[in-house]
Amino acid sequence: MSNELIGARVLRKEDNRFITGKGRYTDDINLAGQTYACFVRSPHAHANIKGFHISAAENAPGVVAVLTGLQVLEDGLGGLPCGWMLHSKDGSEMKQPMHPIMAGEKVNYAGEPVAVVIADTYEQAKNAVEQVAVDYEVLQAVVDTSSAAEQADIYPDIPANTCYNWELGDAEATSQGLAEAAHITRIELINNRLIPNAMEPRAAIADYNTGTEELILYTTSQNPHLARLIFTAFVQIAPEHKLRVIAPDVGGGFGSKIFVYSEETTISWASKKIGRPIKWTAERSESFLTDAHGRDHHTMAELALDEEGNFLALNVKTTANMGAYLSTFASAVPTYLYGTLLAGQYRTPSIYVEVDAVFTNTAPVDAYRGAGRPEATYVLERLVEKAASELAIDPAELRRRNFIGKDQFPYQTPVALEYDIGDYEASLDKALEMSDYAGFASRKDASQRAGKLRGIGLSCYIEACGLAPSALAGSLGAGVGLWESGEIRVNPTGSVTVLTGSHSHGQGHETTFAQLVSAKLGIPIDDIDVVHGDTGKMDFGLGTYGSRSLAVGGSALSRAADKVIAKGTKIAAHLLQTDAENIEFDAGEFKVIDSNEGKTIQEIAFAAYVNHDFPIDELEPGLTEKAFYDPVNFTYPAGTHICEVEIDPDTGVTEITKFTAVDDFGTLINPMIVEGQVHGGLVQGIGQALLENCVYDTEGQLVTGSYMDYCMPRADDVPSFDVGMTCTPCTHNPVGAKGCGEAGAIGSPPAVMNAVLNALGQTDMDMPATSEKVWQAIQNAAASN
Amino acid sequence: MSETVNLIVNGQDKAVSCSANTTLSQLLREHLMLTGTHVGCDTSQCGACTVHVDGKAVKSCTILAVQVDGSEITTIEGIANQGEQHAMQAAFKECHGLQCGFCTPGMIMASIDLVQSGMDLTEPEIREGLEGNICRCTGYHNIVSAVASAGQKMREA
Amino acid sequence: MELTQRLEIPVSNQVVWDALNDPLILMQCLPGCQRFEATAENCFEMTVQAKVGPVKAVFKGEVMLTEMDPPRAYRISGQGQGGVAGFAKGGAQVSLVPAGTVAQPATLMTYVVIATVGGKLAQVGGRLINGAARKIAKQFFTEFVRIVCKQEAMDVVIETIQGEG
Ligand code: FES
Ligand code: FES
Repeated sequence: MSNELIGARVLRKEDNRFITGKGRYTDDINLAGQTYACFVRSPHAHANIKGFHISAAENAPGVVAVLTGLQVLEDGLGGLPCGWMLHSKDGSEMKQPMHPIMAGEKVNYAGEPVAVVIADTYEQAKNAVEQVAVDYEVLQAVVDTSSAAEQADIYPDIPANTCYNWELGDAEATSQGLAEAAHITRIELINNRLIPNAMEPRAAIADYNTGTEELILYTTSQNPHLARLIFTAFVQIAPEHKLRVIAPDVGGGFGSKIFVYSEETTISWASKKIGRPIKWTAERSESFLTDAHGRDHHTMAELALDEEGNFLALNVKTTANMGAYLSTFASAVPTYLYGTLLAGQYRTPSIYVEVDAVFTNTAPVDAYRGAGRPEATYVLERLVEKAASELAIDPAELRRRNFIGKDQFPYQTPVALEYDIGDYEASLDKALEMSDYAGFASRKDASQRAGKLRGIGLSCYIEACGLAPSALAGSLGAGVGLWESGEIRVNPTGSVTVLTGSHSHGQGHETTFAQLVSAKLGIPIDDIDVVHGDTGKMDFGLGTYGSRSLAVGGSALSRAADKVIAKGTKIAAHLLQTDAENIEFDAGEFKVIDSNEGKTIQEIAFAAYVNHDFPIDELEPGLTEKAFYDPVNFTYPAGTHICEVEIDPDTGVTEITKFTAVDDFGTLINPMIVEGQVHGGLVQGIGQALLENCVYDTEGQLVTGSYMDYCMPRADDVPSFDVGMTCTPCTHNPVGAKGCGEAGAIGSPPAVMNAVLNALGQTDMDMPATSEKVWQAIQNAAASN
Repeated sequence: MSETVNLIVNGQDKAVSCSANTTLSQLLREHLMLTGTHVGCDTSQCGACTVHVDGKAVKSCTILAVQVDGSEITTIEGIANQGEQHAMQAAFKECHGLQCGFCTPGMIMASIDLVQSGMDLTEPEIREGLEGNICRCTGYHNIVSAVASAGQKMREA
Repeated sequence: MELTQRLEIPVSNQVVWDALNDPLILMQCLPGCQRFEATAENCFEMTVQAKVGPVKAVFKGEVMLTEMDPPRAYRISGQGQGGVAGFAKGGAQVSLVPAGTVAQPATLMTYVVIATVGGKLAQVGGRLINGAARKIAKQFFTEFVRIVCKQEAMDVVIETIQGEG
């Protein structure tokens, strides 16, 4: 596919509605006769429910219904499922507590919904919520990740609060490697818990029509088809043909809107009961409490090296917090999205990783931008940097020494993945040059003269994206295949409607996919519209997450376009009275080879719908084609991030003076959009490294539950970025794309932390490196000298 | 308890009856159906709700409708001039200063005020000026470029 | 949060003890207290209006006096439900030691205050709870001393032994 549109900075088609205030987000939608829902949430992290007192609320002005967790039990609704089954080392299945859509008997985290009040206005619902009294018997909460297994069991049938003990790799070979090592570098790390904070809070409107028995749910979802499947197959709220899920404009997701939550499920169920539409919009406080959180690992790792600094073995032991329930993809995040990435860009021959997943009385934890891969990169890149400092080898040089060479692909890692292609040195070299790594020493001197501490840190990350080869995912426990679908409808007058099962909530699919289809079909991009996010329009799809949309969804569209061309070729052959073999398609035209005869695709489209004389046995009318694409492997974006910081020792404030990111995403369709994805990811990663931290107190109360307490990166906390690209196209998908949505959040945290520690001349500190923590570290070092 | 609030919204006279505790953001979104103004938090921290009250950027979730009785309100829907996009709108598109678009109306309204306030449009000044608005998608990089580029155009005009 | 403080009150141990067991006095000392009624021996029901940071709520709850060791010590503990605002639990272990003489009686009072909050109060007001609890303790014991000494504008000096003063 060579076309000037591939790789062009096409301005986004979707922007006009957003910059004029005409976006249509879920909360912007209002339906006739709509009611409002407001949830009663547990103030306790762990408690038995002894009773509900709802009559005052039922009699409050405007209240239509008050439903509690007890009614959920009575109606026998299924729980919210986890879609990825894992097995422990001993072969036993992971433990999965029942996750009711509202708790009726016992609450397991603060903020868990126990009842819902539905009223004519939002104020009435909110006021009536105050009137609902719930009697609780408070139980001791389990909060801390690393000690959860030793504490009292939260669920009677789940011993040691343990979901699974999982392992990957060769334990024996790894301990052998450690035994033979000339040097072992050890590290203990906490990967801080994060709250995703898409700027649009979750919202939903459920509209049940008692006449047609059809339920339409508008919801802030990254994958409406999956929501429909879960509602139908697991929770059993409505049969699939009577359930339409629409995810209109969605204001960011970052993973948190993949999952199926209590609230939208509850109002769908309730709308059926009351026969009126119900709207629910989260307040930010509710988002803090109930959106699935991210990360929260405690890890110990050791890296064995020989005298020359060659990596011999890597041993990793991680405890991962699942929260109180298993969210939709929770079990896969600290295992198949984490352990498999521990080879990084290196040739380490033996790797062994053990992961214990534990339950605690905190909000469920699931995939957040990067999901498992940032945690893996963080462990590895902190460890490598520490090893470099212990061995007094330049950290760039140590990495280079251990890189998988560009002629070694395909490369089978000791942790299951087979990398198809890459050129890690190219990215490293480019990043070293762009960041003027060689000139760092003189910049450090200058800072020193000014009384400041300057540091530089690297991170060479890899990720496995483009989720996922279905057969592989299935064999690892995925409950669904992870292919994607795409449909191209060439309308009679030559405009095109593209339907995709992936979903855009900021990624710009309406532009990138239009570019792709335009490049394939030679139809002007303005004549192409991309439709997504509506189960009533597209029959099935798996949605957007794991940087998969272009690599998987785009590939499906590329296939569909090939089918359109094939069909168009037949039509052209018929119209031009020749054989299909004599037709070639190029730049929107079907031409008879070696002649000046031809038809434009627009002419073919028109003919496809209006023609009277198709040989109907061989040629059906119409020009709509659909394709499914199931990747044969993951894609492996990789790159080098270099962060340079300057620290004021008097205040502990860290300023990022330069941040360089060089990434290999394979073929780029729209570099402007790709760079935007990188910028956004970098700031989320920098936020994790310097500012963001989700804190529960010892009783399980979320004490960082607002923007006053949870520090989000703002414009003046971060720099502008130097973003560069290298390119080794993905070998196994037709687009050559690898995915770019998560790289920034994966590569940046270790780069920032390595830079901070380099400035301080230290090797241990957990994220976030707040000014207080940095200042304290400086004081402690001064005191011990 | 219902109050009548008289406002000029995007150049049009409006008399809205609402309760005394209705915020300006609620009045705009729920009474006037101007849903371009977004609500992203409940603690006045995110700036998604920023509009202009008598030409100044104000977080509309933080102010009661009755407090702005008699004022002139401009929202994201009202800044284009006869169908021609405001320089700031155009620059956000041109520089790819938006992704999901949720923070965008507030960002654009805050940025216009920033330029109009006459401050220098260096990168640090712009970054500091946008401190009251959170964007989770763009990493701010392209927003800063958009404000600088629109600012120049607005000042030249 | 935990806070230990000490103060000297220029009245006898018995007077202080009696006052500590007088619901009317306790009610007057507790800022925002609208109701304080005995329901059983050493058990009271109360209604308190309180504000922690941005969260303002009326708390309904109960107060209990336990670990009674007259006239030397007791524990006063309470908990209140503030509806959607969440809940608050708090209390003080109070001990009295006679100081001074028969002619000039005085009592050394030491108390350890603990306080925790939950729900929305913890979520958006959590970082303010230490300050709020400290302020309430100060108001409570200052007012208490003024009442038992019958001096409305008396300066009360409170010494912090442990916890950030
Ligand atoms: S909604 Fe107004 S500041 Fe967040
Ligand atoms: S564009 Fe999504 S929050 Fe700014």
